[in-house]
Amino acid sequence: MTSILRIALPLTLWLAGFSAIYGLHGLLCSSRWAVAGDDLPGRGLLIAAAAVVLVLQVALIGVLRSSIWSASDPVIRHISLGLGVVALVSSVWTLMPVLTVSHCL
Amino acid sequence: MSTLHPAGPAAAVIATLWWVLLAGATVICLFVAALLVWAWRRPPGATDERRFVIGLGLGLPLVVLSALLAYGVVVGERLLPRAAPEVVTVHAEARQWAWRFAYDDAPGRETEDILHIPAGRPVDVAITTADVVHSFWVPRLAGKLDAVPGHVNTLRIEAYAPGRYQGLSAEFSGRGYRDHGFEVIAHDAADWQAFVTGETP
Amino acid sequence: MNALRRHRALTRIWASDPGWKGWFTSVNHTDLGRMFLTVATFFFVVGGLLAMLIRAQLATPRSAFLGPDHYNQIFTMHGTIMMFLFAIPFFEGLAVYLLPKLLGTRDLAFPRLTAYGFWCYVFGGGMMIFALLAGLAPDSGWFMYPPLSSTLGAPGINPDFWLIGITFVEISAIAAAVEITVTVLRYRAPGMKLSQMPIFAWYALVTAVMILTGFPPLILGSILLELERAFGLPFFQVAQGGDALLWQHLFWLFGHPEVYIIFLPAAGAISTILPVMARTRLMGYGWIVAAAVSLAVLSFGLWVHHMFTTGIPHMGLAFFSAASTLVAVPTAVQIFAWIGTIAKGRPQLHLPMLWLLAFFATFVIGGLTGVMVAIVPFDWQAHDTYFIVAHLHYVLVGGFVFPMLAALYYWMPHFTGRRTYFKLGPTAFWLVFCGFHGTFLLLHWAGLMGMRRRIDTFDLGQGWELINLIASVSSFVMAIGFALVLVDVAINALVAIRGSRDPWGAGTLEWAMTTPPPAYNFASLPQIGSRDPLYDTPDLPAQLARGEGYLGDPSRNRRETLTIDIASARPRYIVVFPGNTALPVVMSAVTGLFFLGMLLKAYWLVPISALGVIACALHWVWSLGRSRPEGPLPAGRGLSLGTAAEASDPPGWWGSLFLLLADGTFFGSLLFGYAFLWTVAPNWPPASYAEPGFPGALLVLGGAGLTVIGARLSLTVAALGLGLMMAAGVILLTEVPDSVAHAYDATVWVLVGYGLLHQAVCLLMTALVAARQQAGHAPATLYGARRVLRLWCSYTVLTSLVIAAAAGLPGALS
Repeated sequence: MTSILRIALPLTLWLAGFSAIYGLHGLLCSSRWAVAGDDLPGRGLLIAAAAVVLVLQVALIGVLRSSIWSASDPVIRHISLGLGVVALVSSVWTLMPVLTVSHCL
Repeated sequence: MSTLHPAGPAAAVIATLWWVLLAGATVICLFVAALLVWAWRRPPGATDERRFVIGLGLGLPLVVLSALLAYGVVVGERLLPRAAPEVVTVHAEARQWAWRFAYDDAPGRETEDILHIPAGRPVDVAITTADVVHSFWVPRLAGKLDAVPGHVNTLRIEAYAPGRYQGLSAEFSGRGYRDHGFEVIAHDAADWQAFVTGETP
Repeated sequence: MNALRRHRALTRIWASDPGWKGWFTSVNHTDLGRMFLTVATFFFVVGGLLAMLIRAQLATPRSAFLGPDHYNQIFTMHGTIMMFLFAIPFFEGLAVYLLPKLLGTRDLAFPRLTAYGFWCYVFGGGMMIFALLAGLAPDSGWFMYPPLSSTLGAPGINPDFWLIGITFVEISAIAAAVEITVTVLRYRAPGMKLSQMPIFAWYALVTAVMILTGFPPLILGSILLELERAFGLPFFQVAQGGDALLWQHLFWLFGHPEVYIIFLPAAGAISTILPVMARTRLMGYGWIVAAAVSLAVLSFGLWVHHMFTTGIPHMGLAFFSAASTLVAVPTAVQIFAWIGTIAKGRPQLHLPMLWLLAFFATFVIGGLTGVMVAIVPFDWQAHDTYFIVAHLHYVLVGGFVFPMLAALYYWMPHFTGRRTYFKLGPTAFWLVFCGFHGTFLLLHWAGLMGMRRRIDTFDLGQGWELINLIASVSSFVMAIGFALVLVDVAINALVAIRGSRDPWGAGTLEWAMTTPPPAYNFASLPQIGSRDPLYDTPDLPAQLARGEGYLGDPSRNRRETLTIDIASARPRYIVVFPGNTALPVVMSAVTGLFFLGMLLKAYWLVPISALGVIACALHWVWSLGRSRPEGPLPAGRGLSLGTAAEASDPPGWWGSLFLLLADGTFFGSLLFGYAFLWTVAPNWPPASYAEPGFPGALLVLGGAGLTVIGARLSLTVAALGLGLMMAAGVILLTEVPDSVAHAYDATVWVLVGYGLLHQAVCLLMTALVAARQQAGHAPATLYGARRVLRLWCSYTVLTSLVIAAAAGLPGALS
């Protein structure tokens, strides 16, 4: 089961982070919760959240590489490390809009 | 009512975007076809896995897609309904199977199935619905935006020149869907003034 | 014992009942796989006929062939049938037939569940066909957006057929997914490590997990919409705190993964067939596994790209635009690895390869138009036009139907044991291929010229006439091609000459048996040491037939197979499968009555049939129990193993684990819906929140504690704990007496109902274990059952606490 978890975890973390940030953005922009509706505080919060996701992704790669969680099968180890990198790149790629795109229009 | 025959800035940038997309897709498609032909005719033997998987599988799409994504986001940003002094606001309410339009500049004025706008000025259409989900679409002016119960969505449209443009409801809404459309009439400045002050019907 | 006598003995043990009775009592995966494929093909023909009606109607402007009433039913049913009754079941059928053979085992993990799923599919599909014939078919489009699909837009019974029929059919998808997951993880041949699995098994595993996590949002959405339609719980009605957008989120949370659930098995077939056709081995096995996993998970982060025009702020759209472009990368990795495989090898243009080339030609175009509609501004124009119709047909026909035809022709010799003898295949291929592109290529253009999807006819003078006429004529060419494929398959299956065992020279285990396959698959189970066992041990089939593998001795006279440890692939225990039984078909018929009662609003039938289902389920589970332990038994090759009845992690535990994964996704979707309505829906907050007091909290916490302790130590204590939690739930419902007042009240009812259902299931399971104790079953054979009970109780306690918090917190906070 740990082999399966090694493979499933990295991108699941991406999915969780991505969905959470999308949800946070929806919340910040919804008319009823417009506490941070104007650009700066809301965007700050989103950037902070995206940074947390990236840190978690890097930490996960560290765990997958470390000896704490060793894989019995070298092929599985390679695949899971590759997926760790894929998840990190995915996080950078899909969370880029927090820096570049208009916030609530 | 072709999207490729634009009559306003939003439809025009999207039409340009389409031609770029078509050209890029054609090039990629031909490249893959050529590669396949090459692979088929090549004598069997060792091939460099990294060149196929990393070079073509990862590298090529990442480069192409990042350029494309950036282009798409920039175009998207340009089309957003940002506040500007020029902007005219109108309201569109869809129902099965008609549209009712109201005008901030002419309070109390309502039109049925005909939307009047000034040509050459950005117009924000505040879209909502009285019953099911509909969608507001004037192909020659801009993309579409849905009319969702309880929500008001704002679409920026603009016509370069006075004229009549066909509008469509673009979300399936039951038996009367096919003919559920409207017409947009873009007026020049004088006609628009006349419309707003109620001089023309 | 020689090979022939072993064959006879094993056949006697494993064979289905003779004659027509065998159709209903078979639990054998080979039979059920074939039945799945046949029924799915039937639905493909029905869906195809509907498509012909659509194209006939659209051939000329202002056509009076069909009116909007019929047309709306026809296109809705075309989409629904192709997605739910053809594509998914066809994959299930292929996986059910192939997986045990590819993995070197004798059947799927839960043979009766295979049969139950199949019959649910048949009965549910039958309901849909009835609706179609009776002219009562759903007519709101296959994605059923409320309010159009709710009582406001469709007061008749039509959408109920969809919501109830499709939910019924989805039981089969969930059943097959649980089955495939457990089989791939635990039922491989000894020695077959995860990294040595045939690539199709990876794809099947990934797809199965996607079904477990992708279908629950749709099942939830269907239940909520049916509750709104039947009882007025206002989940999607904006005036009472609901939101129509909630349906779109739930539907596409399912709907986008669904596209990849359809594509991935096809990719698995390509990765299996292509190397054989190119006389080489697959390039980049590890990369392809990683790409399949990436595709699977990324596809869960794309759902909003179906909602680019619903008024979500641009940053939200940009997230999903980025994710949607990104998903092209793992697809490209696979495509180029396949091209690399062709480059590496010596490709031969057999019929399966021809279909694979059609896949390349079609799917690449579909993928490129997919990237186009991932770009937000372009989608604003293309959305809901024929551009999308053309795009999705390129992806689904190119990415599923063509590879599946390759698979059909590739495995035909295996299904039938005959050689392809008559040469209709290439003619059929060219008709389908040219017909397809003739139909859909130009329709992209019609979409850009403003042709909306789902219009029943169009006026002259919009520039679409010629395109539509070409499309209609081509579609009939394509239909003739498909008809020829069917004729070709039928003729070859019935009258072609007998063929050799491994006609393509493949290396995977399904070719290590005689064809058509015997009921038991392998006379003895192999020890595996590589990815292509037949390449490394060409003599393997003969060795297995001689009984030199595991479990080659039929003398225990029962259906046995092996399970292994997931990672090390060492043998763990012997599984004894049930024999032929009519229980699955009876149970699915009773399940059908339950759904029928809901559909016809004959609510007296619902509790009666629910009791019937419970009775069947108890009978089902009871028959798994063994009263006395058998101890270690000889398993061949000098190995002694215990049986599943004495294992601490019996197959039922693993099945429960993955069923709970689906259940947990369902629950998570429900919480998402609640949070969505709370934060986004316009008419919130409700007039009042429930304010449960101290006694309620005490009951929940006390009940939870007792259940956790009792599940480990005492069944009576566990039952008491479950009872207390149920009491707390009932008390909470008295706080929100009117479930139709506001979406909040409706949500609390559904949350508490979910809790009560699970508590009741745990109570039943507790009673069952107690009854087995009473009947004198030894502790060794009860251990696994108690662990299953503990798993379910833990899940129920966890969700009950979350439900209590979710229902009570708003009141406590305000």
